[in-house]
Amino acid sequence: MSRDRMPTEHDRFDELAVGWALHALEPEDEAVFTRHLPGCERCARTVLETSDVMAAMAADLPAAEPSEELRRRLAAAVGETEQVHPPERRIAPAPLHAAPTDDGLRAPTLPSPRQPRWRRTLPMSLVAAAVAAILGLGVWNVVLAQSQQNLQSTVAEQSQVMNALLSPGQAAIAPLSDNGRTVATVVAHSRRVDVVTNGLAVNDAASSTYVLWGMQGNTPVALGTFDVAQPRMDLRTVGSGQTGLDHYSTFGISIEPGRQAPVKPTKMVALGEVTS
Amino acid sequence: MGAVSRPARPPQSGSEDDDLVRRIRAGDRGAVDDLYLRFRRPAFALARRILADDALAEDVLQDVFLSVWRDPGAYDRARGSFASWLLAVVHHKAVDAVRREESQRRRTALAQEDMELSAPVAARDVDEEAWSRVVAEQVRSALGALSAPQREALTLAYYGGYTQREVAALTDTPLGTVKTRMLAGMRRMKEALGGATAGGALDAAIEGPAR
Repeated sequence: MSRDRMPTEHDRFDELAVGWALHALEPEDEAVFTRHLPGCERCARTVLETSDVMAAMAADLPAAEPSEELRRRLAAAVGETEQVHPPERRIAPAPLHAAPTDDGLRAPTLPSPRQPRWRRTLPMSLVAAAVAAILGLGVWNVVLAQSQQNLQSTVAEQSQVMNALLSPGQAAIAPLSDNGRTVATVVAHSRRVDVVTNGLAVNDAASSTYVLWGMQGNTPVALGTFDVAQPRMDLRTVGSGQTGLDHYSTFGISIEPGRQAPVKPTKMVALGEVTS
Repeated sequence: MGAVSRPARPPQSGSEDDDLVRRIRAGDRGAVDDLYLRFRRPAFALARRILADDALAEDVLQDVFLSVWRDPGAYDRARGSFASWLLAVVHHKAVDAVRREESQRRRTALAQEDMELSAPVAARDVDEEAWSRVVAEQVRSALGALSAPQREALTLAYYGGYTQREVAALTDTPLGTVKTRMLAGMRRMKEALGGATAGGALDAAIEGPAR
């Protein structure tokens, strides 16, 4: 904490940002920070600055030369390894705001017309981050409840959720929040959308339903309905039978009377943009 | 010693990195070799410092450079210079490896060494070039600008690969204090290094295209 000024709420994240860049966070801190980082320019900057300082520290190590054999091994491995994407389709994920830079590597990374900006193959690191964020929430809730039994059953549930989320292919991830609190995470594949709810109120499945909406400009399109049976983390899959579900850049969730999706949402309870 | 053998490298070497990344993205396998030749020394120095084992350090290097080839899009220019990013990846993988490989006993023994090494070192065998001496000097004096506990916290995490909680245990300090020290230490380092961070300091250890 600074001695010069009153500590602010964000100070904690400044500290976590440094620990994150140093790969020195405990898992629970890592989960908290992984949730916080997307969209926080200040933390993005702190991570960047820490990486620069770390790189400088690397310059102050005894000089050392790896063996010639390593160079040969690497060349052989590169010769046998294909790149994950054809180069022309490469799109750099940019969850952090781009600093104003010159030209750069952005030029050759133009998205092809059939591939919208936000739709791209899910990098494993991102999946891991999303899963960490989701699981972080779940475990957090249970730890608060102090129940070992709950923890075990939650871990079992979580591994199912994780397996579903980690199914290969392209997907878009959008955390949906209600007043700044993430209550659901949408993982949109082409033909289905997984909704991980966490903290949405349990609805009366006899007289109401949740509806997932994809936003086309300002026009919401109903993608499917689902129920929330428990306030803890849960996975619901909606929209089977449709395609192009990962082409929306914004998703929302509304709670509706009756069991059908209306033409327009009555009341949005969570909204969020695709971050990946 | 005599005249400095060559002038300070211009601060534009980041564009060489960008060119290499561009070539790798275009599917040029030879660019990986160039990238390797350019970064092998600082990458290896860092990995073996963390792992205290040359063979494991070489495995980490192969893993890192191969992963850059496989998915060059993992580097996003918006996240800073390529050099900083690459060394952060080396650091990350080396720390993962050390956590996998090393017995607790050995780690604890090394911790003592880490703490001793955290003191600024007066003379190390960095006699590659006058330039790299100058830069290492800058980094060393920046480390010297930290308070001893700040230096200890940062070096244990960075060179030692310890988590914040491990650093707290090793230094017998509350976890919250360790977190605060790392942040304050990082900020002071950044100030002390000024423009000499990655863009400058690291260049000392990176090979130019001529070699």
